[in-house]
Formats: sequence, C-alpha cells, structure tokens
Amino acid sequence: MNAAIQFNNVSLSYGSKVDPVEVLKGINFSVSSEEIVSIIGPSGSGKTSIIMLASGLETATEGSIKINSQEIVGLKENNLSEIRRKNIGIVFQSFYLIPNLTATENVLLSLEANQKYNQEEEAKKLLSEFGLSHRLDHLPSELSGGEQQRVAIARALINKPKIILADEPTGNLDSANSQSMMDLLFEYTKKSKTSLVMVTHDNSIAERCDRIIEIKDGQIV
Amino acid sequence: MVKLFDTQQLRLINKYAIRDFSRSYKKLWVIASTLFISLLLLSLTFSVKEALNNEITANSKELLGGDIQLSTGIDPLPDLIVDELKTLGVVSTAIELATMVSSIDMAPVFTELRAVDDHYPLYGEIVSSPPGSAEKIFSTTKPMVLINESIQNLLKVKVGDDVLIMGKTFEVAGLVVSVPDIAESAVFGEFAIIGKASYDKFELSSGGSFLDYEYRLKFSNPSNANEQNKIVESIVAYDDTIETRLPGESGQRLGRVIDNFSNFLNLVSVSAMIIAGIGISNTLLSFVNQRNTSIAVKKSIGFSSNFIQLMYFYEIILILITTSIIAYLFGVFSPLLANELLPKSLGIDLQPTVSLIGYLNIFFIGLLVVLIFSIPSLYSISEIKAVALFRNTFQPVSLNFSLKNIVLLFILVVILTTYFVLQTEQKFYTVLYFVAFFITMLIFYGVSRLLISFLKKFHKFSSNGYRIAHRNIIAKKSLAPIMTVSLGIGLTLLLTLSFVANNLKQEISDTIPSMAPDLFFVSIDRDIQPDLESFIKSIDPEVMLEFSPMASASFISLNGTPIEELVSENNRSAWVVRGDRRISWSEKPNPDNPIIEGEWWEPGNENEMFISMDSRAAYDLGMSINDKITLNILGRDVTGTIKNFREVDYRDISINFAIIINKAFANKLPYEYIGTLKSDVSSNDILARVVEQFPNVSAIKVDRILSQVSGVLNKIFIAVTGISLIVIAIGLIVIVSAVLVQTTFRRYNNLIYKILGVDFPTILRAMTIEFVLIYLTLVFFALSVAIAGSYLIVENTLQLTWRFDLGLTLWILLTTALVSFVMILIANKSIFSPKVYPLIRNE
Repeated sequence: MNAAIQFNNVSLSYGSKVDPVEVLKGINFSVSSEEIVSIIGPSGSGKTSIIMLASGLETATEGSIKINSQEIVGLKENNLSEIRRKNIGIVFQSFYLIPNLTATENVLLSLEANQKYNQEEEAKKLLSEFGLSHRLDHLPSELSGGEQQRVAIARALINKPKIILADEPTGNLDSANSQSMMDLLFEYTKKSKTSLVMVTHDNSIAERCDRIIEIKDGQIV
Repeated sequence: MVKLFDTQQLRLINKYAIRDFSRSYKKLWVIASTLFISLLLLSLTFSVKEALNNEITANSKELLGGDIQLSTGIDPLPDLIVDELKTLGVVSTAIELATMVSSIDMAPVFTELRAVDDHYPLYGEIVSSPPGSAEKIFSTTKPMVLINESIQNLLKVKVGDDVLIMGKTFEVAGLVVSVPDIAESAVFGEFAIIGKASYDKFELSSGGSFLDYEYRLKFSNPSNANEQNKIVESIVAYDDTIETRLPGESGQRLGRVIDNFSNFLNLVSVSAMIIAGIGISNTLLSFVNQRNTSIAVKKSIGFSSNFIQLMYFYEIILILITTSIIAYLFGVFSPLLANELLPKSLGIDLQPTVSLIGYLNIFFIGLLVVLIFSIPSLYSISEIKAVALFRNTFQPVSLNFSLKNIVLLFILVVILTTYFVLQTEQKFYTVLYFVAFFITMLIFYGVSRLLISFLKKFHKFSSNGYRIAHRNIIAKKSLAPIMTVSLGIGLTLLLTLSFVANNLKQEISDTIPSMAPDLFFVSIDRDIQPDLESFIKSIDPEVMLEFSPMASASFISLNGTPIEELVSENNRSAWVVRGDRRISWSEKPNPDNPIIEGEWWEPGNENEMFISMDSRAAYDLGMSINDKITLNILGRDVTGTIKNFREVDYRDISINFAIIINKAFANKLPYEYIGTLKSDVSSNDILARVVEQFPNVSAIKVDRILSQVSGVLNKIFIAVTGISLIVIAIGLIVIVSAVLVQTTFRRYNNLIYKILGVDFPTILRAMTIEFVLIYLTLVFFALSVAIAGSYLIVENTLQLTWRFDLGLTLWILLTTALVSFVMILIANKSIFSPKVYPLIRNE
C-alpha cells in the first residue's frame, strides 16, 4: 500500500543559526492509507509540529515530506494550498469555526475552497448525520463545545480527504463529549477509508488507534 | 492564485463579500460615512461647475446678446457701416456709460447706465418687476428708466417716482431683475436701463472715456454663422480698435472664475477624501486584525492570501459604489441650491445634469483614494500565518509597506495628482497643493513619532494620571499618530484659510479705507475741472483734492510684434494690454510711485513719446528699458520708448496709472480728468451738491465699493471655511473610529486599573493629559505650517502685508480642542466603568 504520509529525516528548528531551537531532529516515519495513528508525548516534545509539517502549514528545515507520494518540502504557498485542499482535512483543538458563518456555511467553506459549488444539500446531510440537523443555521456562538467540534469535523471530512490531521481534537471537551467525538471521527474515517493522524494526551484514545508514535525531545521513541 | 476571469471564483468572492458585509457592516461605518461625506463634497463642486459651464455654453448667444458683438469705444460706428451690417440681419445698438443717478434728499449713486434700442435684447429677455415694465423705457411721451434693486434701496424710490440722470428727470418704470447678457454692475453694483431714444433726445453724455458703444447682430441666416462672422470682421477691419466678440467668448471670464474657485473647492474636497483614506486604512487594519483567526482558518482550508485580499477589497469597492452613487445623486441637485444662492441679476438658471461621465469622474477619484489607503492594510493579510492556529498565538499585523507596495502607492498618488492637474488651468498651484499636502501628512506623522520617542525617555512620574497617559501614548496602539495626522491636517487647512481670509478682510476694512480717498471722480471734462475744483474747495477749504489728466489708448505692439502674439490671456498682467487703457502724463515722477529701474525723462521734447510702466506689469509682460511700445491714442498709432519702471501700489485706490507718458508729448492730446477727494465733510453731502451743480460729473463712493467687495468676499470665505470645517469633521470621525477600535484594549486596561484601586477621576485626568499632550504637539506644528503657508499666500500672491490675529487663532484652536475632546470622551464612554465579570469569564 502506498504511504499517505512519509517523513524522511525531517528536522525542524526555529530562531537564529547560531543558537537554534531544535523542535524535531531527524524524524522518520510513514502512515499508510486508511491507517489510524496517534502521536503521543510530553508537552513540548514536537507532536503538534509534526501535524503542522504534514499539513504544509510549516516548512521543514531539513528532510523530505511526501503526501500521497508528492514531495511538499520546497513547494510554494499556492501549491501547498492546493495539496491541502485536495488531500487533507484538519481538526483543531479550539475548533476555529468562522464566527459569523452558520454551521452549514462553515462546512460549505471547505467545499467552495475546492471549487465545489452549490453543494448545500451535501453539507446539510453530513451535519445531520453528525446529529446537527437542528443546528444547521446556527452561528458558532449558539452552539455548545461538542456541537462546534462536530461542525469542525464535518468541515474537515466534507471533501472526503485522504488524510485527516487532528491536533488534540478533544482537548477542549468534557469526557462524555470526547468519547462521542472520537466515536464519530473513527467511524467516518473508517467509512471513507481515510488515514487519520491524531495528536492526543489521552491514552484511552491513543489505544483505539492502529499505531501509536511516541515523541520525546523531538525524536521518535 | 485567483484567476481574474474565473467566473465561479468571482461569484464566490461576490458571495463571501456580500455575506461578510451584511453581517459586519457596523464595523465598516467609518469607511462608509467618511467616503460618503468626501464624495458628496466632490460631487457638489463638480455638479455646480458642470452646470455653470453647460449654462454658459448653451446660452452663449444670450450671454453675448447676439450672434456677434462689436465694441467701438467712445465713437459710434458711421451710419454707412451700420447700414452695411443691417444687410446681414438685425442690428441692436446699446450705449454703456457711467453716470450718477439721484433722487430728492438722497445722495447720488454711481451707476452703470445702459441705453438700448427697441431691438434689445436680440436673444432672451429683460426680466423686470412688475412684469412688462421693461417695455415702458421705449416710451416717447415721458423718459422712463428701469433701475435695479440696489439703486432702489440706496435712493429709497419706488415705481412711479422720479430720479435725476445727468440733470434730466426720469420716471422709474420698474426694477430690472436680470438681463440676458451679463452685466457685472447689475450683479455687484448699481445698474439702470433707459431707451436709446431718451439718450439721444436729451443728448446725454458722461463727457468722455467711460462710454462704450456696443453693436450686436442677429443674423438673418444663422446656419452659416462662421462665414457671416468673417464678413462682419471684414466690414469693420478699417479700424483695428474695434473689438469683436463671439458667443463662445462671452462667458470666458465667468468661466475662468468658476474654474479657479471650483478647482480650489475640489482640492479641499480631495483633502477630505485623503483624510477619509486614513480612516479607511485604520479601520481596514483593525478589521483584518479582528478577523485574524478567520483568515488563518480560511488559509488552513486552502484559500490563498490573494483570494482573501480580493474578497475584502471587493467589500470595500461595494461600499465605494454604494456611497458614490448616493453622493453623486445628492450632489447632482446642487445646481438647484446654487440657483438660490447666486444673484438673480446674473440671469443664470442652472440645471441639474445626470451623466455617466460625471458619476465616473467621482467614482474614479474615490477608487484611487480607496486603493491608496487599502493596499497596505489588505496586503497585511499575507502576514497572517495559518500555522498560528496550532499555537493559538496571533500577533496583530501592521500596515504592509513592502517595496512593491511603495512603488504601487507612488504610482497611484501620481495618477491622482495628474488627474486633478489635467482638469484645471491652475496646474502649477494644483501640483504645489498636492505636494504640500502629502509633505504635511508626513510631517505630522513624524511629529507623532517624535512625541512618542520624546516621552519614552521620561520614566519618573509623580501622578498616576500622567503615568497612565504616558503609557497610552507610547503604547503600540497609541492614538497619537492617527490623531496628529487627521486632525493636524484639518486644523492646518482651517488655520491657513482663516489667516488668509482675515488678512484680506482687514485690508479691505481697515488698511485700504485708511489710505483710500472718499470719492473717486471719473471722466471730468477738462473745461469744467477748474470750476469743479473751486466749487469743492468752497464747500471744504481743507479738502485733499487730486486731479490727473487722462486719455484713452490701446496697446498695439511691443518692439513691432502685435501684443496678442506675446501675451496670453492667463498672464496676470494681461489686463494692462487688453482693450482700452487710460494713460496719464506727468512732468515729474510721483513720490508714491518710486522708480525701481531706469531714469525719469528730462522735461520738454514734445516730439518723442517716453513711457513709464508699472514695474510688476512690465516684468510679467517681458518688457525691458528702451523697448518700443506702440499705442493707439485717439485713432493714431504712436510709438514710444520705455524709460523707466515704477512701483505702483493700487491698494490705496488713489490715482495710479500703469502707463504714464511725458507731459510735453501729451500736451497735444485731447484729454479729460480723473480725481480723488478726501474730506472731513460728509462725502454724501459733497456728492449731492457737486452732482446738482455739475450734472455730468460722475463719482464713485469708495466705501460703497469696499462694502460690496467685502460682501462678496464674506460669502466666498464662508463657503471655504465651511468646507474646511467638513474636513475637520472627517478627521474627527477618523479619530473616533480609532478610539472605538481600541475600546477592548482600553476597557481591559481600565478594568485592571479599577481592580488595582485607580479611581474614575484619575482615569479621566489621564485621558485629559493624553489628549492635551497630543493636541499641543500637533497644534504647534499645525500653527507653524499655517503661518508659513498663509504668509506666502498673503505676501507673495496677494501682495499684502501679513498680520497675525491672536484672538482668531485662539478661538479656532480652543473650539477645535473642545469639540474633539468631547467626541473622544463620548466614544470612550463604554470604558469608563467596565464590568469585571465578563473579563473574568474571558468574554
């Protein structure tokens, strides 16, 4: 099976050349198609940096990163945007819904970024499947935390991406909501045959994944 | 990259922009309101100018009074010539002269009298009150006159009363409201019309050179007017002193006045737009910073920076289109308002015109300003990184001044300046204005940064109020730059215009009257001058009387070159060489006109003409000592040599001549006198007695002229000051919007202060200190620029003496300070008592 994500000797550092802060050092790993992987590790170990690099929103200092066999290190912003639009869905810890758009409009944003227009019914259908049929025209400020996160997941899944990157998706939710959120995410990931890479502090969630990658001090343990 | 012609993408941009605007229009009120006000100002001035120019063009024949006009000066056309002209169409003869009109018990009034035949007017009509009274002036039974409202008020006469014109009794037939051909005296002074038959019957004559025969033709066959104009010109070619005018030229002078004034108003309006632009820039930047997260999310989903920039830019364009349409439609009806403000005696009826070109003119200027001020804000979007979503750390972005943007902005500013320059005759002053304006903006921005740097050096304070004020001023989101720039420019404009206006008004109300004579006699027959002088001295032996001989001459050539080829209409001294000039002569130089170049001539030498010129006119016209000037004096071309240049100050309204020749040569010429009188005896009394004794003598009361000029100037400066105040109002809106943008930041700060025990009076004191520090700084520089600017205008352009008026200055500064501070307090009212709970809950 082709690797959905492939990191080869990837390093990431910030700051001056004289005294750089090394966040990741020579990371090597890959994620296969349809594989669900969790990344765990202590705070500051570099977990989120891996997600940032895989999404193309951050640039590696060294090494090679391939998304569906396409090298993304060195690409320009427009090309990275295109790869992200077509292949990747991102779920953030803080949901990050657009505050003046309704639930439906937030999901439609993803479709329209991919130049799929007049797809309102599809967006509503997915939101209904996520139990939000009564919240379709509500603004984020009118939704609970759990509802907001479900909208965020719907936004990430609507384009049927090959890869979902989730950065502590249950970090701002209570345990009940966390559980139902992860059930939703796992169900739809498997259903749509998508790879899922998830950063989490929750061991119970990590254990539900196909594989766990442990990071410590910028290196895979 | 957004492909410009991808219709789906463009539709998406349209959808997002409209949706975003409909849900956040309240945050964009500053952009909409300031754009609307400044576009409205522009639209008002453009519409009135367009309407006036259309009126002049459409009614050019009415304004001229015919298809062609001939002015022959004091001599009428020979009957033979008139008969020849009559073969081409209808000929109307009119005589214009200056005379005195008087009534019983009231002082006589200097009046422009027009004697017209029954063909007048060839185009249009005389509007009189009561209607139909204009016909009565052609009555042969009793001499009748139409007077204007000004004469009616001064002489306190009504329809049916008698007045005296050069000793002859005329009955007032009615009031002349307007005549189709522009008569300046009808607008600004005293004007009357009689029938030519009455003029001929009574052999009225003013006795000299202030008399002008005018002939107007209406062609029988108007279709080939060009050919017929050439025929007319060939008929009168025998005498090159006869002036011809065509319909296009009739409103030229008025057109130039309109152009200069409207150009000035346009510049002030665009200044308002530029200040509005500062508000646009500030509001947009705040808008972007408030949407930091949303923009980052859109980027994480896959939208490019270009797409997002275009979306917000489109929103601004939607606002521009809406405000410009509304502003244009309101402005289009300004000619109707102008009709109410313009004197009825001008005979002008302005019509509103709606045109696409007119709208596009306003829109284009608005677009340029919007582009200039939105580019740095919108380009800051590229600095927002989606990766910040993972860290939840968002840094506020600031204006993007990359090299590419600076070059683009420079090009846009050049386009804006060039666009205005191309639309006016005053190109140099327009460019100068823009350069001065942008330099002033930079100065004020520099001033604000200087203040911040200066205050950063001071750390020790005894008072909390000053400590808080200090922190607010040196903070990153300080009010100082925006307040200094937007209020500073408005204040500088208001101060400069007020200083110039005040100096002019003082000159007219104080300086000139102190130097000017009480009466100015025009056109006194040389035979009665000695008797007149004795008569006046018998009334007041202490009277200061001065008489100068005068003859009429017209400028033909300079060093053999016809003067029309050397001097353009726009030359500021063109008046010296156009039309009939009055020249005088003297044996000795006048002490009031010192010679600044050349030598005075020796007395004697009656065979050669020597000329002394007004130095300023000479330099403007490119003359040098020993140049040869050819004048036509009473039908004869005479060439003389320039011997010297004199400094002439016309301000004192005493007798001054641009051209003086040697007395020995002039002795042979027929002449008349002009004179001035200054006396402690009432000038009304003297005038009444003089006119009674010498009916043909005309005199102007100088204080009357000055009050007329003052009246006109007052109206102009009210309009100009009003517009400056609008500029300040826009500046205040911009400042208020900046304050509102900072509300969250300031409320948070004030809450912390409240928790720490700082009381409300201290916060108020802090705000006051903050305002005073910024205001005093900008006042210092605004005053400096205004003093320098007004000094240059008053001393160099107007050639007056500049004076500083402390009272006016303090009045303007204190009023502006009070209004600004009150508005800032009102804008800040929500932060005076912030609630603790929402902050604790992070809401």
